[in-house]
Amino acid sequence: MSENKKEDLYPESLMSFWMKSATELWKSTYQTWSSASESFQPKGFESKFQKSWQLTPEMWQSFVSALSAPESVKAFFKGMDILPEVVSQTLQSGWGGYSHLQKEWLEKAARIGKRTEAYKFEDLDKDLFKALTEVYENEFRQFLNIPQIGLTRFYQERTGQTMDRLNLYKIAVSEFMNLLSLPMEKSGKAMSEKLEELTARGELSENFEEYYSMWIKKLEGHYMVLFKSPEYIQGLNNVLNTGQKFFLARNRLLEDILQFFPVVTNKDMDELYKEIYLLKKEVKQLSKKVADLK
Amino acid sequence: MGEPKIPVDLIMQKLAEDSEKVYKSAQKASEVLLGPLDTQIATTPYEVVYEEDRIKVKHYKPKTGVKLKTPLLLVYALINRETMLDLQPGRSAIQNFLDEGVEIYMIDWGYPTRKDRYLTIDDHVNGYINNVIDFIRKRHSLPKINLMGICMGGSFSVMYTALHPEKIKNLITTVTPTNFDTDTGLLHIWMKSIDVDQMVDTLGNLPADMMNFGFLLLNPARLMIDKYVGFLQNVNNKNFVENFIRMEKWIFDSPDVPGETFRQFINDLYKKNLLIQNKMELGGRRIDLKKITMPLFNIYGKFDHLVPPEACERITKAVGSRDTEDVCLDTGHIGIYVSSKVQKEFAPRIARWLKERDKPEKESPGRKKPVANRTDVKTKAAVSSPKKGKKKSST
Repeated sequence: MSENKKEDLYPESLMSFWMKSATELWKSTYQTWSSASESFQPKGFESKFQKSWQLTPEMWQSFVSALSAPESVKAFFKGMDILPEVVSQTLQSGWGGYSHLQKEWLEKAARIGKRTEAYKFEDLDKDLFKALTEVYENEFRQFLNIPQIGLTRFYQERTGQTMDRLNLYKIAVSEFMNLLSLPMEKSGKAMSEKLEELTARGELSENFEEYYSMWIKKLEGHYMVLFKSPEYIQGLNNVLNTGQKFFLARNRLLEDILQFFPVVTNKDMDELYKEIYLLKKEVKQLSKKVADLK
Repeated sequence: MGEPKIPVDLIMQKLAEDSEKVYKSAQKASEVLLGPLDTQIATTPYEVVYEEDRIKVKHYKPKTGVKLKTPLLLVYALINRETMLDLQPGRSAIQNFLDEGVEIYMIDWGYPTRKDRYLTIDDHVNGYINNVIDFIRKRHSLPKINLMGICMGGSFSVMYTALHPEKIKNLITTVTPTNFDTDTGLLHIWMKSIDVDQMVDTLGNLPADMMNFGFLLLNPARLMIDKYVGFLQNVNNKNFVENFIRMEKWIFDSPDVPGETFRQFINDLYKKNLLIQNKMELGGRRIDLKKITMPLFNIYGKFDHLVPPEACERITKAVGSRDTEDVCLDTGHIGIYVSSKVQKEFAPRIARWLKERDKPEKESPGRKKPVANRTDVKTKAAVSSPKKGKKKSST
């Protein structure tokens, strides 16, 4: 293979060859179209569209000649080399977060089947949700908090904030629902142990209502213990706080959207209601004073 | 061969019997549910005699004749509706009072909208309740009337009476929280830890649905599962179904709670417990429970999980009156009003207590009293003559 032929195979040379061919193609297309359009246009008439279209091949030609320069082609391919690195970094951070979560899930699964102690909630799976929150806060939240630029930066920011708060709210709700399901799990396990015991003693009753009464009492007891626990109160507070923050952010975003429509927002009405309330109060006080004077 | 550990044959037999029962029960149930059901509540006739903003005042007059000279104003809570006091014939505290010859006025707080979010406890107590009481006093040409509060309405009644003792003849509080320094009830534990300021700033009024869900969460096993299991077990019983539906209608008919009222109630009462310590202020005026010098009848439920006895029983010792009585009934928060067993005792006992203290006042509300400063009103009429050594407690 000759040196020239070897050079022809380098990406850079392939690139400039491709660009030259593309330029030729578009040039000939344009010329064909121009000559065809002249046949159905009145003489001397040149549409706005045609004028702007004429600029396109000229721009393309100047772009191609700049890019065809060997230095430009080299720089382009250098940039392409970095792309796999960027993609692999993104995948790594996502995979790292996922494998952390998976580890927590496997540990949780390992705990299933262990004998349960009645009315105790020390081994709550709060670590799982803590891990979820950590993964979200460390790996994904940063993307929603990237500083925004441009004319619509405030709207973009509020959208990001709303998404962020929604995610935190969802995690808090999942944790809370998990807490509420714990007594169900525990009472179910306690019942199965009780049934095993009764079976071993040969004291199984054929009356299902007895088992239901037993189960509901256990369930009620477990809920009473859970509801007084600090974990539950923390979970409740968390879901209320994250929920409220999300609603505030969502309402702000909705107000941004509504301002483009002839629709009154809650914020407008609240300001009005406050004024009406204060005015009414003042009027009532003045009426009382007038009545007293009479 | 010994007895089998799992009596499969008996279980199967029971299953077969139960299936037969379930089938018959389901047939009857569909007849009941698809047939005519009387599920009306609040059927005792009344007349709306006063309206202000969203509130109305209902007037009930005894058909058998008025036996007490002083009418009784009922102030219900802002949570749920006052229709519980007139749930159905046979379980109506209102009807029982009327049967005893007590003329009743009752405040219907209506359904707050976003417009009402700025209303405070002061607006309710020194605004609406005061205006209603003045209206009733003028209507009957009486200087004082009897006042009875239920739950949060009782807390409002206590606040009102301390600020306007000259207008109240006898005070009755039922399942009324006045002391919030207790961890007996779940509400008391939860309310102390929530961020009520953020909640009100975000939501405005406290949504009724949120409150309903919160109340269900107090005992989900009984209120979300067992209750409906019981319903299914008795769904073929028309009477049971009607009563059940009436309760369901009432329990989920919840208005929103005005935001600022809710904020102050949680902060000043649940968190700081200011009322029982005589440190609470409304409209710039401090509430001094010692100014409650008229007779006080305090009723509460032993098994009340919302307002436990510890939250109710301190009021009789905190007031200035010497004619006080505590009654602890073997029932829960709403059992006092809806239990047919308690109904037979509740209203007649209150009516008897009121009758014993129904001497007419000498002055009429038309006479003007010179008032220099509302914070230290002292008039002869305001101070009733308590019977010495009459503080008693009974169950």
